[in-house]
Amino acid sequence: MIRALAAQVLRTKGEGMNDESGRALGRHISRRQLFYYAGAMGGATALLAACRDADTVGPTGDGTTSVARPTIDQEPGGLEVFDWSGYGNGDFYPKEEKQFLWGDYAKATNDTPTFVLFENDDAGYTEVATGARYDVAHPCGYRWKDWVDLGVMQPWDTSLIPNVASLNPNLLASGQIDGKQYFIPLDWGFIAPLINTDHVQTTEDSFGILFDERYADKIAWVDTLNMMVVAAYTLGIPNPWDMTDDELTQVKDFLVSKKGLVKFLWNQSYDFWLAFKKEEVWIGYSWPDTVGYAEAAGMNYRYMEPKEGRISWVCGLGLMADTENYYHAHEYVDSWASSGAAEFLLAYYYYGHTNTDVDLSALPAGVVEALSLDDPTVLEEPRSHPETHIPRRDVYSTIWSEVLAS
Amino acid sequence: MATLAPDASERAWVRRERRGTAALLAGPLLWLLIFFVIPVGFVATYSVGGVHLFPTDGELSIGDWQRFLSGGSIYFSLFWKSVRMSLIVSVTVVLLAYPVAYFLALCTGRRKYVALLLIIVPFLTSYLLRVLAWKVILGDTGVINSFLAWSGVRQPDDPITWLLYSQFAVMIVLAYVWVPFVALPIFVTLDNLDLRLLEAASDLGASRWRTFVRVTLPLSVPGVAAAFVFVFVPTIGEFVTPLLVGGPSGYMFGNAINDLFTRGLDWQSGSVLAMFLLVVIAALMALFGRFVQVRSVAG
Repeated sequence: MIRALAAQVLRTKGEGMNDESGRALGRHISRRQLFYYAGAMGGATALLAACRDADTVGPTGDGTTSVARPTIDQEPGGLEVFDWSGYGNGDFYPKEEKQFLWGDYAKATNDTPTFVLFENDDAGYTEVATGARYDVAHPCGYRWKDWVDLGVMQPWDTSLIPNVASLNPNLLASGQIDGKQYFIPLDWGFIAPLINTDHVQTTEDSFGILFDERYADKIAWVDTLNMMVVAAYTLGIPNPWDMTDDELTQVKDFLVSKKGLVKFLWNQSYDFWLAFKKEEVWIGYSWPDTVGYAEAAGMNYRYMEPKEGRISWVCGLGLMADTENYYHAHEYVDSWASSGAAEFLLAYYYYGHTNTDVDLSALPAGVVEALSLDDPTVLEEPRSHPETHIPRRDVYSTIWSEVLAS
Repeated sequence: MATLAPDASERAWVRRERRGTAALLAGPLLWLLIFFVIPVGFVATYSVGGVHLFPTDGELSIGDWQRFLSGGSIYFSLFWKSVRMSLIVSVTVVLLAYPVAYFLALCTGRRKYVALLLIIVPFLTSYLLRVLAWKVILGDTGVINSFLAWSGVRQPDDPITWLLYSQFAVMIVLAYVWVPFVALPIFVTLDNLDLRLLEAASDLGASRWRTFVRVTLPLSVPGVAAAFVFVFVPTIGEFVTPLLVGGPSGYMFGNAINDLFTRGLDWQSGSVLAMFLLVVIAALMALFGRFVQVRSVAG
């Protein structure tokens, strides 16, 4: 497919040249013009000779310039993917991850990707910021601009990704920075409190349950800056993603005063699930995957839709600037953007997917309910607040470290 | 001529010796320079803003040092918390390791090295697995709480919750991890003990306890001191164990350094903390070197 597109690009370029030469040769030319065209052809020949190793001319994604690229057959392969655990490396579902997330890629390229994992967005960003390079990376939306600002990403050419046509256009647009499609948004989900209803009774759904003194030592927070955002929504701060110094101090004092209620702060959602399952905690900051585990285990739970609104997240694949596997990377993201990948994420992880061709009736009822997939307003304000770029991330980070150190 | 010839030969021999010594030392010194001195210099420079890698890096300033050393920094109190935890761990570990080393060195006879190996073997398994095993033991539904519930000491719905995700959990796991390694320097000291001194004490009428207090213990002090430093130095900068079993209250100085470097890319503040820790440890090692002959605990 990509080869065909590349060939089409070549044909288009070739036709353009024929038109120009036809126009030039179809009319009478003077001796000066003859020398001019001869010189131009000589220059072009020299240029082509210099570029003989670059057999195709590929699009850059922004539609403005063309860059010489090797064909997919000439690329080295062995695509290096910088990703989360269980997103293709087989940590959770060895067979299904391969089959649904990159099976199409393997068929198209006969290549097996190599996975390098990061624990969370911060760790992934830091690794790349300090020099690590891969072909494809999978950060989440609120960090995308940070990655682009590092100068290590390049835009995708969406014309090489047929499944893009099936992706939710609003979510797809969120992957654009400065008008260029730097990320293909794929997986999405919510952040909301998950409670064990055998032990926790509430009259209303609220993030406040994560700070409820009645449940001291039965609460799990997450060890990321998002806890500051959650605290800010609880305190009614208007824009938790860009707080003033006074608001940050208010959030810090609040978190420090409530830290004693917390059993532990999780770094891996599976750690939270294990503690939730063993009833070591009854309440936790949760992603939808834990909802799926709780449903499968037959637990009595509620995935809250807090009055403050859930926080929604979206993550996506980005193309690193110095990749030597440009076309392989496009095949890979196309594989991830398929409806098969979407059904896998929904059924196995309870994560949403931006592919809209999924038959909801074929999915487990629990996931449709947990993600409110049958409700088109579920991702809209004020029901949910999308994770947003944090301009003063360094300040947030310092304050969160101080909360932990307090 | 007859007197000059040996001098020339001697000088040539000395030159060869020096060249040989220099050649032998060049490798390790180069290694030390590249992988220790230069990186530490880089971190020190970073701590005052002399190096810029990220857009958020500050300008050349000793502000972070001033904030930290003025005592107003929350990290300074965190440092003392880590010192306190490390001291408790170190003292506990030395107290636990001493009888082990004593038994191995003085009671097991010819099989002491086999016994030593047997004690160390379990610790060749994955560190992560051993820590996770402690989570199984210390959890609300873990081995200890299950036993307490089964024996009727506690109600099943009222487990001891501070066993896991607490300072206690961090300290008990660290103590467990370090006991066999800390036993080694004490073992070496006791193994080198001149047994005739113990016989002499016995011949002079000293009881076994008195012999231990007046002869064995004083002679093993270098090993005990070395053991203390062996555990204190690494545990004060520990961050993996607190991350796994520490919970909110088990957060240590090493975790703060790790978070500053990884989460916020605040390498300048992280460098200040790292350099401070390095200086403290270097001072401790210097003190250790002054009072303890390394050779006495190195076999």
